[in-house]
Amino acid sequence: MTSIDLLDLTKEYGAVRAVDHLTCSIAPGRVTGFLGPNGAGKSTTMRLVLGLDRPTSGTAAVGACPYATLDEPLRTVGALLDAQAASGSRTARDHLRFLAASNRIPARRTDDVLEETGLAAVARRRIRTFSLGMRQRLGIAAALLGDPPVLMLDEPTNGLDPEGIVWIRELLRRLARQGRTVLVSSHLMNETAAFADHLVVLGRGRLLADTSLPDFIERHSRERVRLRTGDPVRLRAALLRRGHTVAEGGDGRWLVEGARAQDIGALAAQEGIAVLELTDEQASLEEAYFALTANQADFAAAPPASPTAPREV
Amino acid sequence: MSVTAVLHSEWIKIRSARASFGSLVAVFAATLMITLLVFATVGRAEADDGGDPVSGAFYAINFAQIAAIAFGATAVSSEYVGGALRISLSAVPHRGLLYAAKTTVVAAAALAVGLATGFATFFAGQAFLGPYAIGLGEPGALRACIGAGIHLTLVTLFAAGLTFLLRSAVAVLSLLVPFLLIVSFVVADVADGVSSWFPDRAGQQVLHQDPSAGLGPWAGLAVEGLWAAAALLAGWWAVRRRDA
Repeated sequence: MTSIDLLDLTKEYGAVRAVDHLTCSIAPGRVTGFLGPNGAGKSTTMRLVLGLDRPTSGTAAVGACPYATLDEPLRTVGALLDAQAASGSRTARDHLRFLAASNRIPARRTDDVLEETGLAAVARRRIRTFSLGMRQRLGIAAALLGDPPVLMLDEPTNGLDPEGIVWIRELLRRLARQGRTVLVSSHLMNETAAFADHLVVLGRGRLLADTSLPDFIERHSRERVRLRTGDPVRLRAALLRRGHTVAEGGDGRWLVEGARAQDIGALAAQEGIAVLELTDEQASLEEAYFALTANQADFAAAPPASPTAPREV
Repeated sequence: MSVTAVLHSEWIKIRSARASFGSLVAVFAATLMITLLVFATVGRAEADDGGDPVSGAFYAINFAQIAAIAFGATAVSSEYVGGALRISLSAVPHRGLLYAAKTTVVAAAALAVGLATGFATFFAGQAFLGPYAIGLGEPGALRACIGAGIHLTLVTLFAAGLTFLLRSAVAVLSLLVPFLLIVSFVVADVADGVSSWFPDRAGQQVLHQDPSAGLGPWAGLAVEGLWAAAALLAGWWAVRRRDA
């Protein structure tokens, strides 16, 4: 199968290291969400995979081959890097036709992908008249042109209307189900959570996480139980005795940090206290992401001034 | 990758963008129009002034040069608007192939249109001259018709190479058009020996019936060819070295 393999990939622009010894593998058959704050190196990584920028060191390969050595690359990798890059003076159809011609893709694929992306009606309009959402669809059409086993899309939901977002979510999941490798960068966490199976998270060019979506959330969110009870006084005392912290959660509910529902339930049963409501609260991807990148931002944002040794007074 | 497929793709690019296709058409259309205007109005009156009848016939090539520069510049510059080159390079990652294919298609289109322009201008102009008309049998006439096509091709390639280097049609046009219209003329008045080595002046030698004063028709084209080759080499150096 065709995966994207990055090995010790590094790219420096002058003194700035945009990608920093990145090693990871994007596997087929699932949608991999590519996350990271602005400037984390997501787009640079994608450009390196496509051979548009030259790595300072390390390698990027698609199906074990550097992109530049692929014979007809659009048949292996479909990429959308920047929807605004398509030259505005051409029609959508001509844009796809020159791409198809270069890789000997039959011209009728052009009409197929225009149909698939909902652009058939505007195929003969000049791209300059397109909205951002239409350009995104055109970029996706171009990526699908060669029916490639690998898709790499940089912020494809940018500028799409809600209908378009639902459409692309389903498209991405379908492509992954067909066994393709799908790498999608985004800065919209809820969006990413809706389509990604796996996450690769970058911060300052470095790999922060490479894990499945549920694992990521579990690892980067603290356990928390929300509960409501008929006997607050006794339960509170029981919880405190076992070292739990209890906070008011509003409307009569309590939040117990660092605990799981099964433990609290067992405890309440032991004590014979009625529990009216008991749920594990799971953090959203957004919360988990911020928990991870906040740590990262801490040491990244403030370059450690020479650590002064604690002085005894 | 298939070379013919990439050539085909490059031709679609040129044909489908208004700026490049428009200026390619303008090489022929504007030249013919100016020829018709000039020869229909002052053609006969000027025909007996004892000047070189061959170079007179190609007066309108001066304007074709500007359209050729515009064609060379816009055919390349469309790759540098908003990062379009990234899209091209993801389809054809082999930069040498992409560069060679684009240059070849631009050259072929310019040569075809240039030759058509050379002959059309010649015949259209002569049609108005009545007794003063010359035919292809006139010494230097056939050579000038073909030479006009080659000259326009080399002008186009010179502009294309510079555009790869400077990445902007505006920059190239604002460099070359004033050069063609002003600098070249001024220097020609001051120091004719130097100016005959300029790309445009060198190439234009081929349009003269008796180019004994300058480098000679073919040597002149060769000098222009060297200019074009230098520009294309510089362009290639830039494309190969830069991140897209």
